[in-house]
Amino acid sequence: MGSNEVMIKIESLTKSFGRIKALDDLNIEIKRGELLGIIGPNGAGKTTAIRMACCILKPDFGDIKIDGISIHEDPIRIKSMIGYLPEEPNLYERFKAKDLLKYFAELYGVPKNDINRRIDDLLELVGMTERKDDRINTFSKGLRQRISVARALVHDPEIIILDEPTMGLDPATANSIRDFVRNLKGNKTMILCTHYMAEADSLCDRVAILNKGKIIDVGTPDYLKSKIHGDVILKVRIQNLDVINIYKEQIMKFASVAAVDFVDGEYLISLKYRNEMSDIVDLFGNNVNSINTKEPTLEDVFINTVK
Amino acid sequence: MKFNLSVIMKFTSITKWEFKNTLKSKKFMMIFFLQLSVLFLMIIIFNSFVTNIESDNGISITPSLNGFASMDVLDQSGLISKSINPIINVVPLSYNSSLNNIAEGKTTGFLYVPGNVDQKIRLGQTIDMTVYLDSSDPKSSVVRDEVNSTAQIISQSYSNTLSASAVPQNTTTPTVNQESTGESLPLQIITKVMLVILLFLPLLLFGNMIIDTIVGEKERKTGEILIAMPMSQAQIIIGKSMAVVLTISLQVAMWLIILLIAGFHIDNPVLVFIFIFLTSIPIIGITSVVAAYSKNFKEAGIGLSIAYMGIVGFLIVPVLIYLSRKSFIANISPMTIVMRLFSGESISLVDYGISLATILIVSLISYWIAIKLFERDDIIFGPRPGILRLVYDLITFKKF
Repeated sequence: MGSNEVMIKIESLTKSFGRIKALDDLNIEIKRGELLGIIGPNGAGKTTAIRMACCILKPDFGDIKIDGISIHEDPIRIKSMIGYLPEEPNLYERFKAKDLLKYFAELYGVPKNDINRRIDDLLELVGMTERKDDRINTFSKGLRQRISVARALVHDPEIIILDEPTMGLDPATANSIRDFVRNLKGNKTMILCTHYMAEADSLCDRVAILNKGKIIDVGTPDYLKSKIHGDVILKVRIQNLDVINIYKEQIMKFASVAAVDFVDGEYLISLKYRNEMSDIVDLFGNNVNSINTKEPTLEDVFINTVK
Repeated sequence: MKFNLSVIMKFTSITKWEFKNTLKSKKFMMIFFLQLSVLFLMIIIFNSFVTNIESDNGISITPSLNGFASMDVLDQSGLISKSINPIINVVPLSYNSSLNNIAEGKTTGFLYVPGNVDQKIRLGQTIDMTVYLDSSDPKSSVVRDEVNSTAQIISQSYSNTLSASAVPQNTTTPTVNQESTGESLPLQIITKVMLVILLFLPLLLFGNMIIDTIVGEKERKTGEILIAMPMSQAQIIIGKSMAVVLTISLQVAMWLIILLIAGFHIDNPVLVFIFIFLTSIPIIGITSVVAAYSKNFKEAGIGLSIAYMGIVGFLIVPVLIYLSRKSFIANISPMTIVMRLFSGESISLVDYGISLATILIVSLISYWIAIKLFERDDIIFGPRPGILRLVYDLITFKKF
């Protein structure tokens, strides 16, 4: 995480498309150098929110301030501060990779003397140096995404906004994109929209859960996970099912236990802390078939929150 | 918003890359040279058409049959041979040589006209002409018919002359000789209007380019990253439009050079070029409106056809009005000014002003609408409003 200085401030953001309200009074602040993840079901308003931050869409109401500048006040200045990677890596098919980056570098106003050096560095960074003279229409989706990442960074932006950057990519390419984001963490202020909870969990400083145009919850991944299940889930499968209720009563007496469920012949015991774990296991004596622990995931948080 | 010249001029980057990519595109170059080939063909047809119009034989738009058959003629008076239809190639030869030519199949026929034709005519006597034909030659019937027809025309002509000479001189109807100056209206329409249409043709041939460049952004979904660039929608539209205007200018310049080389008389070629160049700006502006509103290429194609029908009407109708009435208001069409320029007419500043004002007003309105449409989220990302809704928004200044 970076400094405490607010880099992006979203205030009362509201947007409708026809009768559909895509965003409903959205408020959030993102600090300089922070990586904020936005997760939410399809149609939650994630893409609409980031398009507005990039000044691609105009809000019906509300404002976004980037480094203190309002999107209503100087959208061109804001656009020059942002590197945007859209969901689909749609690029100009007829361009060569190098020319595409050159084109966008010019549009971003990169000084002419720096353009070639910058492009060479970026192509090397995304592992595309060998393909720099090839046309975009010869690239696979993974290669297009790499070029798209380079395009979004061609002007060395202060803010990077990534919309589903690993969607539809093979695991190796997806991991390389994640590594890339990880390397930029701390140096840039980033917003990452994703459907992959593990991705948000491993990369983001904070995660905002968006549903029906509103932020339902926001916090660090650990904070969000702890809010639902506690620290850890203890899974105990038993042999004799006749004594289920007796066990449940005894388990609930432990101070660390937040909740107990019995699902498919298995106890799911949510613990707020781990100190009493061995005592709880001892309770079952010889009646135990198997014991497992499960860390709560963001997926659990997501399902629990938006259900 | 801060106004910075380098930011404002950023549209030139779009223009530069669009123009560069256009010239690099094999598909475009193929179309470009195909159009030039069509121009060459049109010049050839146009030239032969005008030559026919201006020839003594009057207007003929059918293919020429001159020299269809050949006939040797022995006609010392020249009376018959000079009146034969040019579809018969008349070769003056001696009696024996001509008969040999028929025998050898070198000519279709031989016409013998007696040497004392003039004297016989003066005395009102019958003239006996002899036609030798090679019956095996299918053209022989054409030769026979043409000789008969010529003999009848001459006979009728002399009959009329003799009748006229029998009437007392004081009762003859005085002949009126008409001398014309300048070209007739039909000839002006053909020569001037056709040439001016040829010159304006490139303006209507590149509409698909602006459609491809604007609608293509929507269809290929590349518009999103373009709008995310640090430039306004106005700069995007103007940048793309200027690339097409440049392409059109290049084509117009080439057409002008070709027409001049082909021998067309064009006065003020530089001014002609400048006016056509200026006219391309509002035409591309109107095309941009169609492109900005259209969802896809199909829709844009329909819109373009309708828009171009209107544009062609607006350009050509005043030209025709000017030719028939020399009406002052006809200068509203830049095509009228261009036609007057290449005809070498003197044009007053007011006439120039009318045309330039039209170009300016249509440009401002069309680009303003195109930019406003491109700025609307619902036009770019949907759901797209209907035309009536847009007109309502325009009238009420609501969100437009």
